[in-house]
Amino acid sequence: MAQLLSFIDTTPQFETPGSLKPSLPPTKSINASTKSALLVENDESLLNFLRRSLKDEGYAVRTAANSEEGLRLYRHCAPFNVVLIDYCVPQSNGIGIDYLAPQTHGIGLAMAIREINPSQGIIIAALDYRDAREVPRPQELMDIPVLIDIGNFHLRSLLEKIEVDRAIEVLTSSELLRLQQYADFRVRGLGRAARGRTGEDLLGEALLRTLVGAEATQKGRHWNRDVDFVMHLTGAMQSISSSWKRQFTDREAYLISELPIHDAEGQEHSPVDNVASAHAAADQLLVEKDEKDQILTIFKDDPEATQMLLGLLHGLKKNELGLDKKKCAATEKRIRTKLLNRRNGRCEEHGR
Amino acid sequence: MADKKNYDELERIMNQLADSVLELSDAAILAEVTATGADPQEKAERTRFVLRRSSKALEAVNKRLWNLGHSLNPKGRWHEERGYSNSCRDCGLSISFTTATNEIWGNALVGPCPESAQHAIRKREASGK
Repeated sequence: MAQLLSFIDTTPQFETPGSLKPSLPPTKSINASTKSALLVENDESLLNFLRRSLKDEGYAVRTAANSEEGLRLYRHCAPFNVVLIDYCVPQSNGIGIDYLAPQTHGIGLAMAIREINPSQGIIIAALDYRDAREVPRPQELMDIPVLIDIGNFHLRSLLEKIEVDRAIEVLTSSELLRLQQYADFRVRGLGRAARGRTGEDLLGEALLRTLVGAEATQKGRHWNRDVDFVMHLTGAMQSISSSWKRQFTDREAYLISELPIHDAEGQEHSPVDNVASAHAAADQLLVEKDEKDQILTIFKDDPEATQMLLGLLHGLKKNELGLDKKKCAATEKRIRTKLLNRRNGRCEEHGR
Repeated sequence: MADKKNYDELERIMNQLADSVLELSDAAILAEVTATGADPQEKAERTRFVLRRSSKALEAVNKRLWNLGHSLNPKGRWHEERGYSNSCRDCGLSISFTTATNEIWGNALVGPCPESAQHAIRKREASGK
């Protein structure tokens, strides 16, 4: 946990994770605001290259040529979305660069910044190394990402990781609940095509694809920062669940874990218990039909819910269901709540 | 055919419910989860944990791969039975991992990527020295 938090800026302007209050500011404001980076690099060519790379990624960049200047800038201008420090930045002796001192003050600077803000996102650039494990650094900095390949893929990927981790930490409770429910309903809509996967699997994959997509914006699910993080993840989940469905063939054998289902009273049972025929197609049909029929049965005493469900089953859009906006929202709420209760094994005693 | 129809119908309902969740206000979703008897904060933190877990899993995989010069292929295949399956974008060797247990396995872990030199631009080249 400590390792993960180290990538994330949890400075006080954001909500404490777990609070039920709306976030201050919400993830949208992160997207809207300019991202800032502090770049500490003494090699002018590299400085120009890295500054350009950061600017290309949408960062407003402040630069420093040595560790003292870097620390001074950090103290005055923090927090930054990311601090990129060359492992080999030199130390100043008050007059100029102290060439007699060991030229590895990037690590010292990273330590100093960590002391000021333990959760500041930091990247160490160690481009003379071929392996991040070879970069000498104290144990407490082993979790800091190390840039060893100057190619844009690697830098973009590290930056995306820091930004995504930060976005995860500032998600409010309500945003997290929306994501969780969205994922659960999407997976339930897949029926057998989910192949035993859960809403958590869907959400986890959406995040993985976001991070992998950072390396190739044309190919992956790169998070465009103009889009709210929750909306990005829901878009990713929509696309992934559709792809799961496309990959599924109806003839796939059942997993045992797929078979237990819950009836209208929340009791778990196997659909094959009461099947007279041992023919696989009979079981299959029963399972698939079961979910839809049970949902209709649950709402048999709720005419508006039935109207909505039948309308949706017949392919009507929400505004074609014959319910005004308020009734529509209230009906959706009843359906959601009952279905969630049913999944949780709770029995709803009241009809509405 | 009947099976497919049932799928589509169920999917239509569930997708509508999924979309409707996104329209709820903060207070409404908290109230709704509370009404189901669940602890909204606990549920929310569980979801945050799922996101963190995925991020950490990929971080571990990337560290292992980068150290060997491999890179994940964004267009790779995903989510096989035992976990996520992918391959090195450069040499095609396989890599699989799970987010739940952080296990990593595959041929890409056996040795350095034979193709990685093509993609690594070293500091000296970049700085024009």
